[in-house]
Amino acid sequence: MTRYVMVVDLRRCVGCQTCTAACKVTNATMPGVQWRRVVDMEVGTFPDVQRVFTPVGCQHCSDPPCMEVCPSTATGKRADGIVTIDYDLCIGCSYCMVACPYEARYKVDKPVWAFGDTPTEVEKRRYDPRMIGVAQKCTFCVDTIDDGVSKGLTPGVDPDATPACVNSCISGAMQFGDIEDPDSNVSKLLRENSHFRMHEEQGTNPGFYYLWDGARP
Amino acid sequence: MRTRAESVTSVPTYCYNCVAGPDLMTVTVEDGVATAIRPNFDAKEHPANGRVCVKAYGLIEKTYNPHRILTPMRRTNPNKGRGEDPGFVPITWDEALEAIAGRLNHVRATGLVDEAGLPRVAATFGHGGTPAAYMGTLPAWLAAWGPIDFSFGSGQGVKCVHSEHLYGEYWHRAFTVCADTVLTRYVISFGTNVEVSGGACAVYRHADARIRGIKRVQVEPHLSVTGAASAEWVPIKPKTDGAFLLALIHVLLHEIPRDRLDLPFLRDRTASPYLVGPNGYYLRDPDSGKPLLWDLGTGAAVPHDTPGADPALEGRFTVPHAVEHGPDETRWEHRGAEGRTAFTAMVEQMAQFSPEWAEGVCEVPASTVRRVAGEYVENACVGQTIDIDGQTLPFRPVAITLGKTVNNGWGAYECCWARTMMATLVGALEVPGGTLGTTIRLNRPHENRLASVKPGADGFMESKFNATDAEHWAAKPTGRNAHKTLVPIVGNSSWSQALGPTHLAWMFLRATPDGWPKPSYPDVWFLFRTNPAISFWDTRQMVENMARMPFVVAFAYTLDETNWMADILLPDATDLEGTQLIRVGGTKFVEQHWHHQGVALRQPAVAPRGDARDMTWIAGELAKRCGLLEDYNKALNRGAACVPLKGEAYDFSLDPKAEHSVEAIWDAECKAACAAFTGGAEAHGLDWFKEHGYFVVPFKRVDWYLYPTMVAKGLRFELPYQERLLRVGKELGTRLHDAGIRWWDDQLHEYTALPEWHDVPQRWENAVKAMGGEPADYPFWLITTKTMQYTTGNNAGIPLMNEVGRNVRDHGGVQINAATAAKLGIIDGDMVEVRSVTNATRGKAIVVQGLRPDTLVIHGQFDHWATPFAKELGFPSLNTVAPLSLDLTDSTGSGADVVKVSIRKIVPGMAGGAA
Repeated sequence: MTRYVMVVDLRRCVGCQTCTAACKVTNATMPGVQWRRVVDMEVGTFPDVQRVFTPVGCQHCSDPPCMEVCPSTATGKRADGIVTIDYDLCIGCSYCMVACPYEARYKVDKPVWAFGDTPTEVEKRRYDPRMIGVAQKCTFCVDTIDDGVSKGLTPGVDPDATPACVNSCISGAMQFGDIEDPDSNVSKLLRENSHFRMHEEQGTNPGFYYLWDGARP
Repeated sequence: MRTRAESVTSVPTYCYNCVAGPDLMTVTVEDGVATAIRPNFDAKEHPANGRVCVKAYGLIEKTYNPHRILTPMRRTNPNKGRGEDPGFVPITWDEALEAIAGRLNHVRATGLVDEAGLPRVAATFGHGGTPAAYMGTLPAWLAAWGPIDFSFGSGQGVKCVHSEHLYGEYWHRAFTVCADTVLTRYVISFGTNVEVSGGACAVYRHADARIRGIKRVQVEPHLSVTGAASAEWVPIKPKTDGAFLLALIHVLLHEIPRDRLDLPFLRDRTASPYLVGPNGYYLRDPDSGKPLLWDLGTGAAVPHDTPGADPALEGRFTVPHAVEHGPDETRWEHRGAEGRTAFTAMVEQMAQFSPEWAEGVCEVPASTVRRVAGEYVENACVGQTIDIDGQTLPFRPVAITLGKTVNNGWGAYECCWARTMMATLVGALEVPGGTLGTTIRLNRPHENRLASVKPGADGFMESKFNATDAEHWAAKPTGRNAHKTLVPIVGNSSWSQALGPTHLAWMFLRATPDGWPKPSYPDVWFLFRTNPAISFWDTRQMVENMARMPFVVAFAYTLDETNWMADILLPDATDLEGTQLIRVGGTKFVEQHWHHQGVALRQPAVAPRGDARDMTWIAGELAKRCGLLEDYNKALNRGAACVPLKGEAYDFSLDPKAEHSVEAIWDAECKAACAAFTGGAEAHGLDWFKEHGYFVVPFKRVDWYLYPTMVAKGLRFELPYQERLLRVGKELGTRLHDAGIRWWDDQLHEYTALPEWHDVPQRWENAVKAMGGEPADYPFWLITTKTMQYTTGNNAGIPLMNEVGRNVRDHGGVQINAATAAKLGIIDGDMVEVRSVTNATRGKAIVVQGLRPDTLVIHGQFDHWATPFAKELGFPSLNTVAPLSLDLTDSTGSGADVVKVSIRKIVPGMAGGAA
């Protein structure tokens, strides 16, 4: 079996949003849509303050609340753990957006362009009308994974089989791979470091792990 | 469904939008349209594995920005000013180039310099020399032209790490300074925001270091991104870093056992043993003029380079016969004079700077200062060694880094000196794990800082100060900022003018101090990748000055606040559209430390939009139309565009008399570069580079460090005592006073042999009074900070940067401490006005905990009114309210991003606004 997961080392992340931008450029998401983003959080009171950067997005849960509430079966889960949306089936009801505890889903009701009313040449080229009026979210760059795997490449190791955010990460905070493979990079990281998952108490069994030692680095 | 591409290619190129680059990347091109940026995964030699930072991902939008200038344009409105629509109309390239050449040829006929000796042509380029990576062969045109005034800066001196540039290069060939992050264990960072401005390479190195267990203490008034990624944040009062640093030295010199310091390093590699005489200058051998030290072996004073001498590091000694060389020809001959070692002089000077004293200045507990000093020494590993490339070197894994505003403006001299001395005291200067220089700009050769180390006077490296003696001092400025006249340490290299006090050039256009002649406006002013109307201070005055420039040629991407005053706009092929070869690797700015060096190609991933043209084509046309083709080609052959086209083992020279295509020029550059790096063994042409992107050869790790070169050449670092600066300052004072100039006197006080504390923050209070304000009315310190999305990217008009930048809390408003905000009735998101004596700026309040109660922070450089998209943002800007002030200019000609301000909540409907 395979389950693809993301592992983010919060000790490495500096909140630069390179992953955010790489995701947007790679997936041609419209302005305001951020399948991947990094949250800038502050904890404490002056002068005892900490500031932490936390990449967020779809957690590709093994028990995804979004799938549970989807009335059209548009949201699905693959055998490799990737949670998907079939845009042809989605009716845009937004139940999933409400159900997702990670606020990872977006819906765009009409095209929005970077510079106003008119799309640029690249926006025109990359516009996908299927994305209008339906739920959308991080796909783990599933097309890249599938294409790469079909060529014998390993997700999380070979760039051509790896999500864009991971490929772009300049601090090396983001890692991707198969948690079921004990020799994978993600399995090794999880074995060797303290980690947590977000909203784990909700029973979602997210496929998104955060390495954190509980102290400032 | 999206359009299915018939052709998809991946084009290797580079991003050098900020000084932390260049970084390597690829552009995905679908059917001729650039659709994505990706790392260059093949670039294993790149320290960040071919990754680029967030800014590079904005280059797609940059290319297809509908607001681009895509044809040459001519101004139709003869009146210039913010309120005057320039009325640009399209013209042909031929019309544009003829208009420019006409002006230039008139200048050549009239004289390249005006009656005062100032160049009639001026040029302003943007951030940190990075425009050179996009201007094709324009440098060859500039070289062919002759004198050009580069002193109208776009922020140089006030927005760069200015004093670090000058003192760093002087003391250890360090135009910028960094930690040896891959080895260091303990870093004290005074406002260095390396996690946002260090680029992909630095971010990766520091992330590795954190996992390895490094401790970084971040000392700064606000909790920056780098502070967030540090082990400890120390919220210091703005502009008091020097006091903290001096107190650290005090602890090392007065509170810990002497043997915890690296005494051999101090004795052999610094001027610590040199004897200082009664007048404050070195006691010298009467015959040779060499500085004396006290030889413990013979019990006598001997010249510093006496073989077998055992120098005394500390103490006072009576010298039978010696001379002191004072300013100009002043000589004091002594018989039986007492000399104290330079080290002892420092020990005595630092006695006053206890942690308790610093606490009163910095508002940082003395216990914190003392603990940090102790941790620094604990981690210094004095006595340990490490093998690098087969050489055994000292291992000193401690470093101190300084950020902008700490290392420029008043107080920066003290900070730079103290930082370098902290490294020196434990032998951590230019050794593995320690504090390192990266690159050089004032010395040559630029591409090899080790080769720039040449023996100079008194056992030190050669230094190229501007002359201050009566015969050679440049009484008459050669540029409008008078860098040769006022700033000896900046020298006179190709970068010196732009590193002089560039704000003086702007200030003097408005008004000059007593006795200083008012400079002329240049006949022709060129602009390339720069927007000083936003990126400098007192932007209102800047704009007024620009409006008086008689003929402005702007290479223009979109309209902006500076080219609003242009007469001709020229659309150049931008990042993904042009061709250029640049050097990569070795050790470069910030933290680019490679194990390789070589060259990388920028190539047209896509065809230029509209009628944008390659900069090399434009430069060639200008050369031809100005009758400079031969000189231009000769400059190319000399290496003005990248590398010399002829070397010992190769010759790809261009025919000086012929016109050459863009491709032919860069083909020759590609071949010459490869040949230069391989002794002529390889000579790949442009086509090879278009496929492979870059060419590198190994660069030795040991060459990251200057120490082995200093040892090999038997040289000492010119520390701790600043005899040369003391003498130069006295001489400069005499020259200026003889010329009737008294308005630089305050700056002359900075020329001290050992730093003194001069209540740096008070200078800002005094400046408020001098400008007619009451300090009590401006109780807050306003400072600025950077974020990776915008810093030095010239990309405020790129929507993607704004969208992702808004995820970072610093963006787009005025940060204020939560308790302070509560007292003032301000809540997060309220519109507030920040007012200085000279102007006001408005934005949304960002209420945070990670900020001192007496300090406000405005990120970046904004307040646009002409740049499309950016002008809709409504972001505030420190630059709007920061005055250009001689009072706030230090002796190097730099100022710091600090302003005393008030803040108030804007009630809807309230009268008043930004002045």
